[in-house]
Amino acid sequence: MQRRDFIKISALSGAMATLEACRSPEQQLIRFVPEEELIPGIATWKPSVCTLCSAGCGLQVRVMQGDAEVVRRGQYGLMKMGLAKKLEGNPQHPVNLGKLCARGQAGLQVLYHPDRITHPIKRSGSRGSGEFQEITWDDALKELASRLATLQSSNSANSLAFLARPMRGQRRELIERFLKAYGAPPAVWYEPFDETVLRQANLLSFGRAALPTFDLRRADYVISFGADFLGTWNSPVAQSIGYGEMRQGRPGRRAKFVQVESRMSQTGANADEWIPCRPGTEGTLALGIAHVILSEKLAPGGPTSPAGSLEGSRAGSVIAGWSAGLPDFAPAALEKQTGVSAAVITRLAHEIAQTGSAVAIIGGAPLAHTNGLFSALAVNALESLIDTGRDQRPILGFMSEPELGDAAQSAVPLQGSLASLNGLAQAALLGQPHAPQMLLLYDANPIFSAPPGVRIREAIAKIPYIVSFGSFIDETSAQADLILPDHAPLESWLDSIPESGSFQAVANLAPPAVAPLHDTRAMPDVLLGLAHQLGGDVAKALPWTTFDALLRAAFIPLRTRGGSINKKTDDEFWSTAQEQGGWWSDAPTAHAAGAQGGGSQGAGSHAGSQPAAATSSLVPAAKHAPMAPAAPEFAGTPAEFPFHFLPYVSQAFGDGSLAHLPWMQELPDVLTTAMWSSWVEINPKTGERLGIRQGDLVEIASQQGSVRAPAVLSPGIAPDIVAMPVGQGHENFGRFATGRGANPLSILAPLAEHQTGSLAWAATRVKLARAGGPEQAKLILFAGGMRGFPHEEEPR
Amino acid sequence: MSHKWGMVVDLDRCTGCEACVVACHAENNIPTAGADQAALGRAKHWIRVERYWEGDFPDARIRFQPVLCQQCEQAPCEPVCPTYASYHTPEGLNAQIYNRCIGTRFCANACPYNVRFFNFFNPQWDMPLELQLNPDVSLRTVGVMEKCTFCTQRIKAAEIQAEAEKRDLKDGEFNPACAQSCASKALVFGDLNDPNSEVSRLERSNRGTKLLGELGTKPNVTYLERGTWEDAKNG
Amino acid sequence: MQRTAEQIEQDLLRPVFHTSKKYWVAVAFATSLFFAGVAAFCYQVYAGIGVWGINSPVFWAFDITNFVFWIGISHAGTLISAILRLTNATWRRPVTRCAEAITVFSVLIGALIPLCHIGRPWLAFWMIPYPSERRIWPNFRSPLAWDFFAIATYLTGSTIFLLLPTIPDFAAIRDTATGLRKKIYRVLALGWQGTPRQWQRLETAMHIMAIAIVPVAVSVHTIVSWDFAMTPVPMWHSTIFGPYFVAGAIFSGIAALILTMAVLRKVLRLEEYLRRIHFENLGKLLLTMSLLWFYFTFAERLTTWYGNAPPEMVVFWDSIRKNFAPLFWIMVFCNFLIPVPILGIKRLRTITGTAIASCTVVVGMWLERFLIIVPSLEHKFLPYSWGTYRPTWVEDTLMAASFGFMALLYLLFSKFVPMISVWEMKVGLQPHGGVPVATAEGEHHGLVLEGPLPTDVVE
Ligand SMILES: Nc1nc2c(c(=O)[nH]1)N[C@H]1C(S)=C(S)[C@@H](COP(=O)(O)OP(=O)(O)OC[C@H]3O[C@@H](n4cnc5c(=O)[nH]c(N)nc54)[C@H](O)[C@@H]3O)O[C@H]1N2
Ligand SMILES: Nc1nc2c(c(=O)[nH]1)N[C@H]1C(S)=C(S)[C@@H](COP(=O)(O)OP(=O)(O)OC[C@H]3O[C@@H](n4cnc5c(=O)[nH]c(N)nc54)[C@H](O)[C@@H]3O)O[C@H]1N2
Ligand code: SF4
Ligand code: SF4
Ligand code: SF4
Ligand code: SF4
Ligand code: SF4
Repeated sequence: MQRRDFIKISALSGAMATLEACRSPEQQLIRFVPEEELIPGIATWKPSVCTLCSAGCGLQVRVMQGDAEVVRRGQYGLMKMGLAKKLEGNPQHPVNLGKLCARGQAGLQVLYHPDRITHPIKRSGSRGSGEFQEITWDDALKELASRLATLQSSNSANSLAFLARPMRGQRRELIERFLKAYGAPPAVWYEPFDETVLRQANLLSFGRAALPTFDLRRADYVISFGADFLGTWNSPVAQSIGYGEMRQGRPGRRAKFVQVESRMSQTGANADEWIPCRPGTEGTLALGIAHVILSEKLAPGGPTSPAGSLEGSRAGSVIAGWSAGLPDFAPAALEKQTGVSAAVITRLAHEIAQTGSAVAIIGGAPLAHTNGLFSALAVNALESLIDTGRDQRPILGFMSEPELGDAAQSAVPLQGSLASLNGLAQAALLGQPHAPQMLLLYDANPIFSAPPGVRIREAIAKIPYIVSFGSFIDETSAQADLILPDHAPLESWLDSIPESGSFQAVANLAPPAVAPLHDTRAMPDVLLGLAHQLGGDVAKALPWTTFDALLRAAFIPLRTRGGSINKKTDDEFWSTAQEQGGWWSDAPTAHAAGAQGGGSQGAGSHAGSQPAAATSSLVPAAKHAPMAPAAPEFAGTPAEFPFHFLPYVSQAFGDGSLAHLPWMQELPDVLTTAMWSSWVEINPKTGERLGIRQGDLVEIASQQGSVRAPAVLSPGIAPDIVAMPVGQGHENFGRFATGRGANPLSILAPLAEHQTGSLAWAATRVKLARAGGPEQAKLILFAGGMRGFPHEEEPR
Repeated sequence: MSHKWGMVVDLDRCTGCEACVVACHAENNIPTAGADQAALGRAKHWIRVERYWEGDFPDARIRFQPVLCQQCEQAPCEPVCPTYASYHTPEGLNAQIYNRCIGTRFCANACPYNVRFFNFFNPQWDMPLELQLNPDVSLRTVGVMEKCTFCTQRIKAAEIQAEAEKRDLKDGEFNPACAQSCASKALVFGDLNDPNSEVSRLERSNRGTKLLGELGTKPNVTYLERGTWEDAKNG
Repeated sequence: MQRTAEQIEQDLLRPVFHTSKKYWVAVAFATSLFFAGVAAFCYQVYAGIGVWGINSPVFWAFDITNFVFWIGISHAGTLISAILRLTNATWRRPVTRCAEAITVFSVLIGALIPLCHIGRPWLAFWMIPYPSERRIWPNFRSPLAWDFFAIATYLTGSTIFLLLPTIPDFAAIRDTATGLRKKIYRVLALGWQGTPRQWQRLETAMHIMAIAIVPVAVSVHTIVSWDFAMTPVPMWHSTIFGPYFVAGAIFSGIAALILTMAVLRKVLRLEEYLRRIHFENLGKLLLTMSLLWFYFTFAERLTTWYGNAPPEMVVFWDSIRKNFAPLFWIMVFCNFLIPVPILGIKRLRTITGTAIASCTVVVGMWLERFLIIVPSLEHKFLPYSWGTYRPTWVEDTLMAASFGFMALLYLLFSKFVPMISVWEMKVGLQPHGGVPVATAEGEHHGLVLEGPLPTDVVE
C-alpha cells in the first residue's frame, strides 16, 4: 500500500518537477525473471493441505499466471508468477473427497493478507508497544543462533521453551527433535479447545488414544451429545459428507438424528429431535438411555447381538455399575438432574433399540466440564452398547496411523494442554531455577486464548527473550523481541497426519503451491539452519538441510506399504506423493469386520489397527477402576452468578485464529446471521425478564472479569444459559479483527477437567445485565426476519 | 442438444455450513463490504443460507434454506430492465450484463427472492488481497447490479472444452463453485434437458418444490423438502 | 373595485420590471439550496451512490418518493388548467399561468431525479432510443422506458402549453420595454402582432393542446404507478395503482397550486386578482380529491386486508400498526382528517384555510409515496431478506434541493413572465368575455379593452 502510494507520489512529483531524468517510476521497478512457465489464462491445479484446523483435509489449489509484487533477496519487484486463485478439496483425498469447509476455502486470504509480516523484524520500542524495525535474515539468524549457543553453553539449555499449537506431522517431529537434542524440555502444545479428554476416554474405552471416525453414511440412528460434528468438531467435512448420505443417499432409508446439548449449535439445528439438557449431565443422560436398554433387555441392532455383551469392548466395564445394569440410572431418577423427562429418555432407548445401525457421539461442551471424562466414558459405553455393527462393522472406528520412517510421528500427549501451559506460566512467574529464558512461539496465541487465571500475559512478560515465527502480529507475537515470519501455508512444504475422518491411513504431503510473495522463510528451514549453526548433538539429530529432505526421509518408507502409490523407485514415489497430495492406504473392504484401519485387528471391535511402530508411543491404558458418576462443578455460586456461560467454537474463526480473514468476518453466522460482531445468545424469556431486547448491549461478568457484547435473542438456548462465540475481541490482530467484539475466553475460570487437566471451558458461571442500547452495541446482522411464513411474531 | 442448466437444493442434506457462501465469494470476485457497509445492509452474498426459527424453547427448530438466483424462466427481473442488462440466455439462464447496466435497481425490486446485489461503491481490495481475484470473472464497478450467474464462466469453459474435443458434456463434469464445495451434496447442478442427469432425476422427486412457486416465476432451481424419520420408516 | 386594462397591465407586469431586495434574498436562498443539491450530487457521483441510505433490499427510497411526488405535483397545472379551459370556466383566468408553470417545473425536477438516482448517471442516455454502435435499443417492455417517453412527452407538451398563451404577454412586455430587454422580448414574442389570424391560431392551438394534454397527464402518472404495479412486490402489485396515483397526483397538484397562489398573492400583491373565489373553488376541488383519495386508500387497504395474503399483511401491519404507523397516521391526518373539515365547512374555506389544508396535503402526499415504496421493499417474500431504511444527509440535501430548484425556477420565471396572463385578464374585461380585437398599429399588442371586470371575477 505505502509503496504504491510512494510510486504514485514520485510519479506525480517527477512529472511536475522536471523532466530531467525522463525515466518513469515504472522503469525503476525491478522486474524479475519468472521462476516457472505458466500459460496465461490457463489454470493448473496443484495439491496442498489445509492447515486451518486439525482435520487435515486435502486441497487442490487453482494456480494461474499473474503479476505480483514480490521480494527476492531483499529487493522489491514485479514478477510474473503462478498465483493461487481458489482452493478446492482434493477429490482423491480420503478425508474430504474433494470438499472443503467454509474456513478451509478462506486459506487463500491467509496467503494474500494485507497484514502479513513481510520480512524479519526486531523490537525497537518497549515490549508490546508494537514498534519494530526491519532486520535482515542474516542478522536475525545470527542473533538468534548466538543467543541459543550462549544459553546452551551456560548450561541453561533447559530454560528454552517452545510454545506451539498442537499438530500432527513432521513439523512437530522436527520441533521435538530440536528441543531434545538441544537439551530443552518438550514443547508446550497449547490450544484452548484441545481434545485430550476424548482421547483419554477413547483410550480407556476402546484402547485408542485418538479421535473417533464415524461412518455416518451407514448410520440409521445418530445420537450426539454436544458434538458440533457438522460445523467445527473433529473432521467436519468428512462428517458432513457422511451426513448427507445418511439423510438422502439411500432411497427409502433415512437416519434419525438426535442432538443433546444446552445451546443449539449449527449441528443441533439439523437434528430431527433437539433435546436440551442441563450442562454437564450429558453422560448421566447417556447412562439413563443405557439403563433402559439394559434393564428392558432390548436388543439393539436386532436379535443377533445380545444386548450388553458386545465382544471385546471395555467401554462398559469402565463404568461403575454397568454390569449390574446401571441401577442408579433409572430415567425417573434423572429427570431433575438432566432436565430431560423420563418419557423422552425411555422413548430414545426404544427408538435406538429398534433401529439398525446406531451411533452415539460426544464432543464439545460436555467434555469441557470438570466431569468431562466421565461424560465421555458414559457416552462411549452407550456407544458400545448400541453400535453393534449390524451390517459389516460399527459406525465408530479409528483411523490407522501411516507408518512413516526415520523421522516418525510422535503421539499426541495425553496431558491437557491447559496443564502444560500452566506449567510454563508458573515456571516463568515464580522464577524457578529453570524458568524460561527464551521462548520460541509458533502458531499459538495464548494471551488471547488462555483463561486469565493462567496469567500468561504476565508470565510472558517475564521471559527475557521471545522469538515468534508468526506471519501476523497477534496479542502474543506482539510481545516478541524478534519475529522471523514463516511462509504462508500455500508457500510452504506441508504435511500432516489426519487423526480421524477416514478409515484409511493418510499422510498428507504437498510442495509449495506458489512461490513466496514476501521476504519470509519457512519455520522448519529456519530451525534446520539453526541446528546446523549450533552444531553438536543438535546438528546430528537434524542432519537435513531443508524441510523437504526431512519429509522425504519420513515418507519414503511408505513406498513399500502399498496404498495409493505403486512405484518402483524412491524418486518416483516421492514425486507421485507430491502430485497426489500425500499417501493413503487402500480403503478397507466392506467385509473386514472391525478392521476399519485396513491393518491388523485391534483390541476390540472398536479399535482399529494399531501399527506396531506407533503403539509404543501410546500412553499405556491406565488400570482404571470403574468410573463413578461425577457431578459437574462450576466456578461461581448460582446465587451470585445465575447463568451458565457457554463459549463455543465459532464456525468462521475457529478458536479465534482466523478472525483476521475478511471472508470469515463477513460470513453471516448461520444461526444468528451476525457478521463482523460478537454477540451473546440468550433466551427470549431471559431477555424479557432482564429487560434486554435484541441488539441491546449486555454485560456478562464472571469471577474473572466481564465482557460486553450485543444480545441476540435465540429460541435455541435454555433460559439459564448464555452463550458466546469465540474468535472476536482481538486487541491486536490486523485491520479486520482488531478492536472488534469481545473475547469470552477472557472471563473463563481456570477450572480444569478433573482427570486430565484440560481446560473446562464450559464450567464458568456468570451474571448478566443490560449495559446499553443498540447504538452502543452495534450488532450487525445479515438477516432481517427470524421466522418464515406463515408469519409468527418475532420474539422481542 | 441445447442445455438447460438447473440446480436442486436438498434441504434434508443442507447442514448450514456455508461452505457454498465462501466458495461463491472466492470464485466470483465478490468484494467484502466491511463492517460499516455490512451494517447498512450492503453485504453481498450471491448465495446465502437462510435460517428460519420455528417454535420456542425447548421445542425450537431451525430450517436452513440456501437461496441463490433461481434462474427463473419467467424472471420478473428481466422485463423491467430498461437496458437489457438483465436478460435471458438461449440456455435459459438469467444473465446479468454488467456493462449494460445503468443502475436503476428496478430489477432488484422486482426480484421476489432478493438475490440481486448492487455495487454501492467501487469494490476495493487491500493489497495484495487483489491477487486472489479470479481472472475469469469480471469485476463490477460502482452503480452496477450483480448476482449469481450459475458460475457462467465454468459453464462456458466446460462447453468450449467439450466442443474442442468434439464430444458432449458429461453429467457432473463440472460444477458451479457452491455445488463443488458442498460436502453434504445438498446442491446438485446439471442439465435439465438431459432426463438422465442427476439433477433431472432429483427434480422429479416427490419432495420437490419451487421457492415462491406461486408467483409463477418458474425457477430452474428446485428445493427438496426435508424428510422425516417417521416418513422414511413408514416407507 | 374595478381595474382598468392599464391598471391590470401595470399590476401584472410590475414584477417583470421592478425587482425588490426581498426578491434577491429569495433567489439567493433558493440558489444556495439548489447548489447544495448539485454539490451533494457531485459528491454522490464521486464517492458512489452508497453515500445514500439505500441498501439491499430497500433499493428505492427518498429518490423515487421525490420522483413520484414531483411528477404528482405537476398534475396541478396542465391538467387543471386544460380542464378548466375546456369547460370554459371563466374564473380560471388568473390561475392558469401559475398552474401551468408549476407543471413544467415540477416535471422537469421529477425528470431529473431518476438521472440522479441511477447508479451510473453518466450512462443515462442509454435510455434514449437511438441507433448506437451497441445496436441495442431500450427495452420497450420496461415501465422505465415507458416512463421515459411519457415524461418526455409530458414535459414537451406542458412546456408548449405554458408558452403558447404567454406569447401575447411577451409582446406586451416587448412593447413596454426598452433596450436589451426589448430585444429579448422581441425574440420571445415570435413576431406577435395580434392580428385576428394570430389570435385565431392561438385559440385553435390552445384548444388542441388542452385536449391533447389531458390524456398525456393521465398516462404519465398511470405509468409512474406501473413502476410499482408491474412488479411482484407485496402491496405494489395492484390494479388500483393507476387511478390511485392519478387521483393522488391531481390531489397534491391542486394543493401545490393553492399554496403557490397564496404565496404569489402576498408577495406580488395580487390580492385583487387572486381572490377568495379562486381559493374557494380550488378548495372545493381539493375537497373532492381528498374524499376520492380516502376512497382509494380505503379500497386498497380493505382489499389487501380481506385478501389476507401473508406477505402483504406484513407490509399492511407494518405501516398501520408497527414501524411506519406514526407516518401512516400523520398521512391520514394530513390528507383527510385535517383538510376535509377545513374545506367542507364554508366558514373555514377561506384563503388561509385552504392554504393550511393544502400545506397538510402536500406533506401528506409526500408521505403517501414514501409509505408506498419503503415498507414494501423492506418486507418482500423471504423474511430473511428483510431490511430497514434510513436516509442520509445526501438524500436530505437532494430533497431540499428539489424544493430549492422549484423555488428558483419559479422566481426566475416570475421575473420574465407575468404570473397572471395579462391578456386573458383583459379578455375578462370584455362584456362578452371575449374575442380580442386587433388595431391597425403593428406595434401595439393588440387589445382594446374597456368596461368593468367580468362578473365572475367579482366577489
Ligand atoms: N481488455 C482489453 N484487452 C486487450 C486489448 C484492449 O484494448 N483491452 N488490446 C489487445 C491488444 S491490441 C494487445 S496488443 C494485447 C496486449 O496484451 P499484452 O501483451 O498482454 O499486454 P500488456 O498488458 O501491455 O502487457 C504485457 C506484459 O509484459 C510485461 N512487460 C513489460 N515490459 C516488459 C519487458 O521488458 N520484458 C518482459 N518480459 N515483460 C515486460 C508487462 O508487465 C505486462 O505484464 O491486448 C489485447 N487485449
Ligand atoms: N497508453 C497506451 N497506449 C497504447 C497502448 C497501451 O497499452 N497503452 N497499446 C498500443 C497498442 S498495442 C495498440 S494495438 C494501439 C491500439 O490503439 P487504437 O487502435 O487507437 O485502439 P482502441 O483505442 O482500442 O480503439 C480504436 C477505436 O475504434 C473504435 N471501434 C471499435 N470497433 C470498431 C469498428 O468495428 N469499426 C470502427 N471503424 N471503429 C471501431 C473504438 O470505439 C475506438 O474509438 O494502442 C497503442 N497505444
Ligand atoms: S475441516 Fe475445514 S478447516 Fe479443517 S482441514 Fe478441513 S477444510 Fe480445512
Ligand atoms: S455448502 Fe451445502 S450444506 Fe453447506 S450451507 Fe451450502 S448448501 Fe448447505
Ligand atoms: S431469482 Fe431474481 S434475479 Fe434470479 S432470475 Fe429470478 S427474478 Fe431474476
Ligand atoms: S439495475 Fe441494471 S440490470 Fe437492473 S434494471 Fe437497472 S439497468 Fe437493468
Ligand atoms: S452458482 Fe456460482 S454464482 Fe451462483 S451462487 Fe453458486 S457459486 Fe455463486
